[in-house]
Amino acid sequence: MIFSSLTFLFAYLPLVLAVYFLVPLWARNGVLLLVSLVFYGWGEPVYISIMVLSTLIDYTHGMLVERFRQRDRLARWFVGQSVVFNLALLGFFKYWDFLASNLSLLPGVSLPQLGIPLPIGISFFTFQTMSYTIDVYRRDAPVQRNLVSFGAYVTMFPQLIAGPVVQYKAVAAELACRRNTAEDFALGARRFTVGLAKKVLLANSIGALWDAQLAAGEAGTLTAAGGWLGLLAFGFQIYFDFSGYSDMAIGLGRIFGFRFGENFDHPYLSVSVTEFWRRWHMSLTGWFREYLYIPLGGNRGGTVKTLRNILIVWFCTGFWHGASWNFVLWGMYFAAWLILEKYVLRETLSKTPVLIKHLYTLAVVFAGWGIFAVEDLSMCGEYLSVCFGGGRLWSAADGYTLRCYGLTFLILILASTTLGQRGWQRLPARVEKLLTPVLMGLGLVLSTAYLVDGSYNPFLYFRF
Amino acid sequence: MTRGYSRFLTAFFCIFLGGLLVWHLLLPDRTQSETENRTLAQRPEFSWSALADGSYTKAVESYFADQFPLRDEWTGLKARTEQLLGKREFNGVYLCGSTLIAKVNTPDTAVVEKNLDSVRRLAERTEAPVYLALIPSAAEIWGEKLPAGAESWDQAEFIAKALELEGAESVDLLTALRAHAGEEIFYRTDHHWSTLGAYYGYAALMEALGRGEEVLGPEAAKERDLPVSNGFQGTLYSQSGIHWLEPDSIEFWVEDRGLSVTSWRDGTPEETGLYDNDYLGEKDKYSTFLGGNQPLCVIRNGEGTGKLLLIRDSYADSLAPFLARHFEEVHLLDLRYYRGAASAYAAENGIGQIVVLQSVPNFITDQNLALLGR
Repeated sequence: MIFSSLTFLFAYLPLVLAVYFLVPLWARNGVLLLVSLVFYGWGEPVYISIMVLSTLIDYTHGMLVERFRQRDRLARWFVGQSVVFNLALLGFFKYWDFLASNLSLLPGVSLPQLGIPLPIGISFFTFQTMSYTIDVYRRDAPVQRNLVSFGAYVTMFPQLIAGPVVQYKAVAAELACRRNTAEDFALGARRFTVGLAKKVLLANSIGALWDAQLAAGEAGTLTAAGGWLGLLAFGFQIYFDFSGYSDMAIGLGRIFGFRFGENFDHPYLSVSVTEFWRRWHMSLTGWFREYLYIPLGGNRGGTVKTLRNILIVWFCTGFWHGASWNFVLWGMYFAAWLILEKYVLRETLSKTPVLIKHLYTLAVVFAGWGIFAVEDLSMCGEYLSVCFGGGRLWSAADGYTLRCYGLTFLILILASTTLGQRGWQRLPARVEKLLTPVLMGLGLVLSTAYLVDGSYNPFLYFRF
Repeated sequence: MTRGYSRFLTAFFCIFLGGLLVWHLLLPDRTQSETENRTLAQRPEFSWSALADGSYTKAVESYFADQFPLRDEWTGLKARTEQLLGKREFNGVYLCGSTLIAKVNTPDTAVVEKNLDSVRRLAERTEAPVYLALIPSAAEIWGEKLPAGAESWDQAEFIAKALELEGAESVDLLTALRAHAGEEIFYRTDHHWSTLGAYYGYAALMEALGRGEEVLGPEAAKERDLPVSNGFQGTLYSQSGIHWLEPDSIEFWVEDRGLSVTSWRDGTPEETGLYDNDYLGEKDKYSTFLGGNQPLCVIRNGEGTGKLLLIRDSYADSLAPFLARHFEEVHLLDLRYYRGAASAYAAENGIGQIVVLQSVPNFITDQNLALLGR
């Protein structure tokens, strides 16, 4: 199930809220576990078994690490086992077909592609449970002895399928004991509505433009202007989609009494690529820093080792986003820019005016979206070459696109800044109190309209 | 946030979500959507096997969405919002002032070539001369109404090329319709040509068939006192979700007098009429003409001369009544439903002239026209 669906909003969520707040405090983790399994199994019921298996194995490994803490080698062995298990799960379900198709290119190798549907959220929950065992070993987190509570953490539906990556240590205390207040509920509901509107009203509408431009690219009618409009559209789509989803997750978590960390901090305001990655998908970059970059030695082993570590981390970051070469290329692209900024451009950037730095960052990031968005590498190359002047520069269709989407772009740009937030904070308390329900109502009503329209499926006897 | 205000916001949020759920549960289920012109999903039957393979939850999703309260109003609200944001295209339909025009997408050239080739092959296989009459859609004739820069495939270029087709006589409906582009020759909420548009099509077709001198003037062709069907909201109304435009009206010019109509809907002949008035009470009012899509329909006129075969799509239904005044027999054959060979049919029925009468959007996408060449 996804948050931006009618069934979730108007059937699952009200029922879950009712049950959760009707049962006594001690039963709430259990309720959370059960409803999360329903949520997870909604699309692919058989995959509940993966969830249960993963929960049991990581629970057991946490206990084993704790039990054999005194015998370090054994404890490390169990940590290793847990990591291998999680990576194997991820590797099999997400990467098997990719590996099989690429390895089969080697002479004498022939591996079958299985075409298994990807279990949703697998990239997120495997990372979360991996860090759990590691944290227990490092004594960064207490072991969880209660299987229900642990299950509630692993399966917790608000962040299950699209993050943020919530580390166990961040919610350990709240799992054991949390308060549910009306204020948390109200703030959570507000945050959820903001996220819903970002996803449904902003991301989905601008996504249609990207689809159109990509199709124009394939049909050979794309121009440079149209190409950049398409990249802008995709960049906005993925930002509002993803950060909207994070907002919804954070809001829902808050309703249930959890405080998840922030995942995005206005990334498009960044004035360097390095800064962009401190503001974009923060829970993932944080995870890679803590469990990969620093264990590899970080930047403390001299230039060569640092370079190696950056390349490894960004290879993994890219590959994590999808089982396809373009994602690897995308990771390497950013590794290159980060290395450039670290070793070559640092001096230059410090003397450059902020506006130029901002434009430079946006150009790098949005051109990067071109690599990210087009999985077929040759198509991707064609698209980007048109963007950089390898074709016509402008056509009448671009004018039409601009007229249709101009206002939408303006809204998207403003929504990417802190303007709204700052304006909101300056409002007198009374106005804020009045506006909150009005805007929430507007967000909910319009989102519902867009969602119902999404299911609008006229049968056109376009059988002329 | 004070406790009271927090409770207020909480209640507000819960009542919105829960309220619509309760409304949904209390609302009786509908079987049919008039606006969308389709049957709606019903409450699915539960079974463990359906649950296990995921089909049950999918069915619940479609049921929940299809039976959602105020479904049409939500859709209208979205279209209005999009319009406010400056959008001009709604699900492949352009909003051009008070007129809806369907966008024509760039077709698969292989299909286009194959269909043209099938027409050529039909001409080779039959004694009777074959005429290719391609009807440009509103996106071409009313191209000036489209939003500036809005794309739609160039039908004029295609028709010009098709006119050169070897073996088939050509009927230039593009020029004929362009001459009257300022008149209401297409519906505003439907993709078909109006009765007036069909009339101009008839005049041009008769000319091409060599019977131009028989063509009735517009006043003479209007045999009835124009009993008009108002409140026609066509396919584009449905497709676009734009529900605030003034509905169209349909005119029926030709009278049944002296004509007999035989329909083969399910393999057996059935006496019907030029118009099936049952459709006037439904949304799909255009199907009033000859009762809509069917494999085969024959209109006979004892006073007419010559036998004509139309390879039809639905545009032909509003044109055929005009032709029926002049021909002894007008046969309408639809290759999407009729599986026999058109050339054999023509030979068996003593057909004198064959017209492939197709709208361009159908001709460039229809996979069944390949049957023509058999």
